[in-house]
Amino acid sequence: MGGLQKKKFERGSATNYITRNRARKKLQLSLPDFRRLCILKGIYPHEPKHKKKVNKGSTAPRTFYLLKDIRFLLHEPIVGKFREYKIFVRKLKKAYGKTEWSAVERLRENKPTYKLDHIIKERYPTFIDALRDIDDALCMCFLFSTFARTGKCHVQTIQLCRRLTVEWMNYVIASRSLRKVFLSIKGIYYQAEVMGQLITWVVPYQFSHDHPVDVDYRVMATFTELYTTLLGFVSFRLYSSLNLVYPPKLDSNGESEPKEESEDDYAMNSESYLEKLSALSASLARVVSSADEEEAQLDQFPSEGEDMEKMEAREKELKQQEAQKKLFEGLKFYLNREVPRESLAFVIRCFGGQVSWDKSVCIGSTYDVTDETITHQIIDRPSVGKQYINRYYIQPQWLYDCVNAKILLPVEDYFLGVTLPPHLSPFVEEKEGDYVPPEKLKMMALQRGEKPGNEQEEDEEEEEEEEGEQEEEEEQEEDDNGDEEDDEEEVAEEKNLKKMEEQRSQDKSLHVKVTPGKLKVENKARLEQEEKAEEKRLAIMMMKKKEKYLYDKIMFGKKRKVREANKLAAKRKAHDDSEKAKKKKARK
Amino acid sequence: MAAARRLKRVAISQPGFLTLNPKVTPTDLVSSRRKRVNKNKKKNWNKYSDVQDVEEFLEDVRHQERTTGGLLCEKSDDSLFFLDVGQPKKVEEKEAAEPVKGKKRKGKSSRPLRIDLILQHDSLVAPPKDVLAYQKPNAKKLRRTAERAEKLAANGVVPRSKKRLLNRTVVDRMSKKTETEANNNPERDFYDIWGQETKDLGEPWYLQQTRKKLVKRPEKLNEKPSVLPAVEVIAPGGSYNPDFFSHQELLREAHEVELKKKKVEDKLERQLAYNKADTATEETILREQVEGLVEESEEEEEKDAPKEDGEEVAVGAIAVADKKTERQRKREKAEKMKEQQRLTERRQTEQQQQLFQLRSIKTSIKQQEETTQIRQKRRKAKEEAQKAQPRRLGKLKFQPQDMEVQLSDELAGSLRQLKPEGSVLMDRFKSLQKRNLIEPRERAKFKRRLKVKYVEKRAFKEIS
Repeated sequence: MGGLQKKKFERGSATNYITRNRARKKLQLSLPDFRRLCILKGIYPHEPKHKKKVNKGSTAPRTFYLLKDIRFLLHEPIVGKFREYKIFVRKLKKAYGKTEWSAVERLRENKPTYKLDHIIKERYPTFIDALRDIDDALCMCFLFSTFARTGKCHVQTIQLCRRLTVEWMNYVIASRSLRKVFLSIKGIYYQAEVMGQLITWVVPYQFSHDHPVDVDYRVMATFTELYTTLLGFVSFRLYSSLNLVYPPKLDSNGESEPKEESEDDYAMNSESYLEKLSALSASLARVVSSADEEEAQLDQFPSEGEDMEKMEAREKELKQQEAQKKLFEGLKFYLNREVPRESLAFVIRCFGGQVSWDKSVCIGSTYDVTDETITHQIIDRPSVGKQYINRYYIQPQWLYDCVNAKILLPVEDYFLGVTLPPHLSPFVEEKEGDYVPPEKLKMMALQRGEKPGNEQEEDEEEEEEEEGEQEEEEEQEEDDNGDEEDDEEEVAEEKNLKKMEEQRSQDKSLHVKVTPGKLKVENKARLEQEEKAEEKRLAIMMMKKKEKYLYDKIMFGKKRKVREANKLAAKRKAHDDSEKAKKKKARK
Repeated sequence: MAAARRLKRVAISQPGFLTLNPKVTPTDLVSSRRKRVNKNKKKNWNKYSDVQDVEEFLEDVRHQERTTGGLLCEKSDDSLFFLDVGQPKKVEEKEAAEPVKGKKRKGKSSRPLRIDLILQHDSLVAPPKDVLAYQKPNAKKLRRTAERAEKLAANGVVPRSKKRLLNRTVVDRMSKKTETEANNNPERDFYDIWGQETKDLGEPWYLQQTRKKLVKRPEKLNEKPSVLPAVEVIAPGGSYNPDFFSHQELLREAHEVELKKKKVEDKLERQLAYNKADTATEETILREQVEGLVEESEEEEEKDAPKEDGEEVAVGAIAVADKKTERQRKREKAEKMKEQQRLTERRQTEQQQQLFQLRSIKTSIKQQEETTQIRQKRRKAKEEAQKAQPRRLGKLKFQPQDMEVQLSDELAGSLRQLKPEGSVLMDRFKSLQKRNLIEPRERAKFKRRLKVKYVEKRAFKEIS
């Protein structure tokens, strides 16, 4: 029992963590600067497992950082810049206090600044790393670019954000990588597939800002500072991957060149270029101008059974994607002034459509309302004065729904003044057995290439049929899989078996007569099915008690789900019926 | 100079020397009698040597040189004297002719100003020659270098100084500006940061020591503190034109959140509530005031009595313990030994028996292992679930923002009439907190250090 007495809190977790205040003192920074540094370097607070040990016996809630992280921060060159900035502010204050204006001017000229390039390189060692983290950056930039220039943050930051977002949108248009759009009450969600990464971002509606008070703007501005740098470098790389000129330039010889008139009225010379870019109506200049790029064919390797199926599925998907990319090609849209121009122009151009608007709405309109070749006019008001006969007047939701459905939906439901069908979220992926709203079923049917009838009732019947078909298909698929664990449609199969047994027994008891033999057509598929069902039943019988219990539980859960879905569907039907009855009454 | 002086001496010693100063005669200059003093001391030199005469003479010589440009004795007679033949007539004629030309120029204008006359150089001594005007230092060397440079230029060789000027990197103001430009400059340019390899500026050791090489970022820092995605898409009921049931679902969720909040509030209220029977009435107040004044004596006596008894008992118990006898000790020892022996025997037999229990032992071990596995699984699942949860990173807990919901009658029929709900800014901020990137904080409260004093102004006072 010899040796020195161990002192408390001198080893173990107590030494691995450091409180925020101690870290701050170690780095000789003020709290805001420390916070800024941590955000820029990507060092986040930690919650220790044993708080009491780390906190030296106290249980008071504190913010902890890992000591190694803070040691790493000590090497950061930006820390020096922060200190310089502190001194700069002090000197400036002094000069102001003494009203030495020349000194103020001199100091302002030599204001210490810093760059975040090395941090970007350090935090995202490869381009893909950066692309994975671009969601946040996009959201932030889109958000900041909609801010009013009222001193909540630097005007320069807002301008930079605007520039970067415009560049991003132009890239998405050029690469045609938009996949989903969702209009929510909060903002517009977009999803694009860039280099195999799904990127989601949210854009607030224009002019919808009431600045919430309990948001720390300084923190948000710091994040934006980092993310603008990141987004800039990413978009440079993306542009060069498409052979586009990086600070994006409008294609001068493109057929959709914006008109030169009335540009001077719209914006100052310095700003008009960005404005023209942000109009999104013209295509971008390429480094190597190539009219038709050869599309790379997917390499095909000879492979065995299962792989082939996968390959086919993939090919099908690819084909679908290609089709989706050319969704609006050949269509000519005209936007009325009451619709959200930027979002719609972005979506239309992403799928190859042509778009224009009134000259007074925004710069860069390419044709007039009077153009005879316009196929669709997007309009969001109950009635319109002069109508052209050779174009559809539709509400903006049609475009978004088309994008999500990946096909051109029938325009009848979206005509002027018609009550719109619900706008469904494309981000929901229903598992089987879940409740699927009938509108989605209809859409799925359309995707499969079936044409809905004219009357609604027929529609519904068809839907039901389709549902049935779907289920059957699913069953077959599962059977193909043939795994024992995959026993989803157990109930139905059991019913089938029972029926068969009954039939057999009936055969035995009732039909005793001898009849001339018929050639029994053996349904191979059915036989196989039966065999499989039998196997399954035997497997269930052979189960241990414990496993059986678990199995029953799973089956019960599935049944319950189905029951709930059925309930919801019934409810919906009742709701629809009542609505219809109301309508009928109203008509009468 | 010495030669010139000597010459003057010689000239003076001549009998025909003329002086301008009438007082001084040449004979005076040469003193007849001298006082004898020791001349080995410097003090005496100054004191007793009479240099007045020499100085006067020299002054005279200088005067002559200034006024006449040389010594009078050396001048020729022609330059000193002239023949006086009365007024010259020509001058008169000239004077007569001049007024004809222009009377205005007569007098002051023709004569120089007096100030100019005063300032004029009146000495006739010629100014000393400036040697450097005629002579260049290192003239030969310079000439040679120039010649060589010409030759080299003819051969097309550029001198080193010129070369250095040409080679100097152009440090224009623009490049400096880009270096110091702010991070959020909207015109800033980007480059391919991932494509280019970093240039090797030197030895790694040198770079490390001079802090030019950045410290490598630990891999662990690139892990994200939460598994949640950056952008969480709103539920399908949050569509601007939602499906009826998904909207109902969202409403139900929002309703549940509100219920939970209400429950917490109610609980707090319940805890803060007091029993109404406990309120103070006049009677209770009076009783409280009189408490301990009326019937205290009896109770105290009763309470005191048992206490004393207890003390007595305790004292007695201590006294009871007494010594064991030798015999008792021995017996106890033997008993102890026996007990131990019994136990060891038993243990041995048990171990032997275990040989026959092998199967049951195996099953029990198996069971134990199973239970630990189950526990491990459960713990892991819990940890996984915890990963998506916001952690406690500071004083405050994470508070999710209010759910964005529009009631059925608030829903807009078309995109034009849509009233956006909630704020994307708030959503982003909360998302950062939820993903453990920043700790939840409250805005610092403003604390006034000095009291504010309100004073009514006199003008206002008069009215009110």
